[in-house]
Amino acid sequence: MNAPASVGAALEGPAVRFEGVGLRYGAARILEGIDLRAEPGRIHAIVGPNGGGKSSLLRCLMGQAPFSGTIALDWPAAPGRIGYVPQVVEFDRNLPLTVTDFLICFMARRPAFLRPRAAVRDRIALLLDRVGLAGKARRRMGDLSGGERQRVLLAQALDDGHGREPDLMVLDEPMAALDAVGAQVFETILNGLRDRGATLIWVEHDLAAVRRLADRVSAIDGQLLFQGAPQAELTPDRVLALFSHRRAQP
Amino acid sequence: MSFETLRHSVQALAEAGWLPAALAWGFAVNALLAGVIAGPLLGALGALVVIKRHAFFSEAVGHAALTGVAIGILAGEPYSGPYGALFGYCLIFGIALNYLRNRTGLSADTLIGVFLSMSLAMGAAILLVLAGRINVHILENVLFGSILTVSGRDIAVLAAVALPVAVLIVVFFNRLVGASFNPMLARARGIDAATLDYLFVVMVTLVTVAGVKIIGAVLVGALLVIPAAAARILARSLAGYVTLSVAISSLATLAGIFLPMQFDLPVPSGPAVILIAGIIFLICAALRGVKGASA
Repeated sequence: MNAPASVGAALEGPAVRFEGVGLRYGAARILEGIDLRAEPGRIHAIVGPNGGGKSSLLRCLMGQAPFSGTIALDWPAAPGRIGYVPQVVEFDRNLPLTVTDFLICFMARRPAFLRPRAAVRDRIALLLDRVGLAGKARRRMGDLSGGERQRVLLAQALDDGHGREPDLMVLDEPMAALDAVGAQVFETILNGLRDRGATLIWVEHDLAAVRRLADRVSAIDGQLLFQGAPQAELTPDRVLALFSHRRAQP
Repeated sequence: MSFETLRHSVQALAEAGWLPAALAWGFAVNALLAGVIAGPLLGALGALVVIKRHAFFSEAVGHAALTGVAIGILAGEPYSGPYGALFGYCLIFGIALNYLRNRTGLSADTLIGVFLSMSLAMGAAILLVLAGRINVHILENVLFGSILTVSGRDIAVLAAVALPVAVLIVVFFNRLVGASFNPMLARARGIDAATLDYLFVVMVTLVTVAGVKIIGAVLVGALLVIPAAAARILARSLAGYVTLSVAISSLATLAGIFLPMQFDLPVPSGPAVILIAGIIFLICAALRGVKGASA
């Protein structure tokens, strides 16, 4: 089994600019005046309390919410590939859907109910090996632990369907269900993508992981509260204020 | 080989004793041919219906067919196959339901409850108007299916629906399944989930309407669900699931058409098909129970 040629190749992440981004659902203001910039070759973490609008900001980025303001992706050349790791996927836990079936749904056009081509099988084996799930290709998705399922979601984001890795990786609290080994796998892969030039936007609750991994952090609670280097910005006082103080509506 | 030639060949083989005697009748060959087309199609699409949790929707479209038939007859279409109104009304029903589900944020089962009630009320009102003009018992064929009334035109309609829908299932299967997991993930993977939702609604509607003549409006939705539900119990992968669903649906459809003819049972084809599918479902559930108990 050979790795696709693109694995390990340089990536061309975009600069992602959020300028004055706001979001309302009816009368409720979810986000207001968010200005931040994620750079290529950097991991940009977004932290904040539950309901603070972190995932909503990702929804805006992915075109799933009608925001005001500007979100621009400045690609160095042609638009590249976007990988997305959701927090959860919804499916019937008793569905006869194997890990391979799940990945094929996103990686191949040939219907998942037919035997996949050898090249696709090889790519899936490689992806599962990268996320530490070698040998689990035939396991049912519903039988996996939460952490294993999260690693499958990471695996799908690492292949655009043609064996190419993402230039922009968007992650929505991917570490929520991970054990120490799973977290290590994530960290290794995220660091690898960053080192090869990808842009990573990462919504996360685990502040220790953010301090370890992120190059820059933005704290959001309806509006941008502070941003900068995690080690400098995530001081105990600020963290306490961020998570214990409920904001007024922006 | 034309359809007429095929039918005469089958009849000749039956008369010569090579095939069951029931197939010496032209209508029986028509019905069986319709079953050969409808069975696998309903099984394959049903697999997607269960994955996408659209079981209640397919039931609703089947019931809406009754109103479609009533409108067609009121508009002067032939009693034996008012396809214009059937397809037209059911497509409007399905597309409007999906549109409002996207716009109102109401859950699918709530909207289906609203739409189904309105549709049945309208159908009942039109049938009362028609009661003075036609023998309403003709509608029993539409409600429960009848192999006696399957014509060459019905088979042509079924085939015209089956071919493109089968191609769409193959082409869009992965994207239809992928879109059901997470809307943002679908978007990131370049899957247009909203458009695919409409496509799927249209596919289910077309197949449901095309199957009304054999299975009946009341029960056709069930044949989209029961084989797939049975397959889901036993299968270990999507390949096994779809294969089993197609096999069970085909077996139930063909047996439901053939057995009442062969043994001269006074059971309409629709209920026979659904009862056989239901028995297979119960067997699958029992097998799973045995497997689970011994595990």
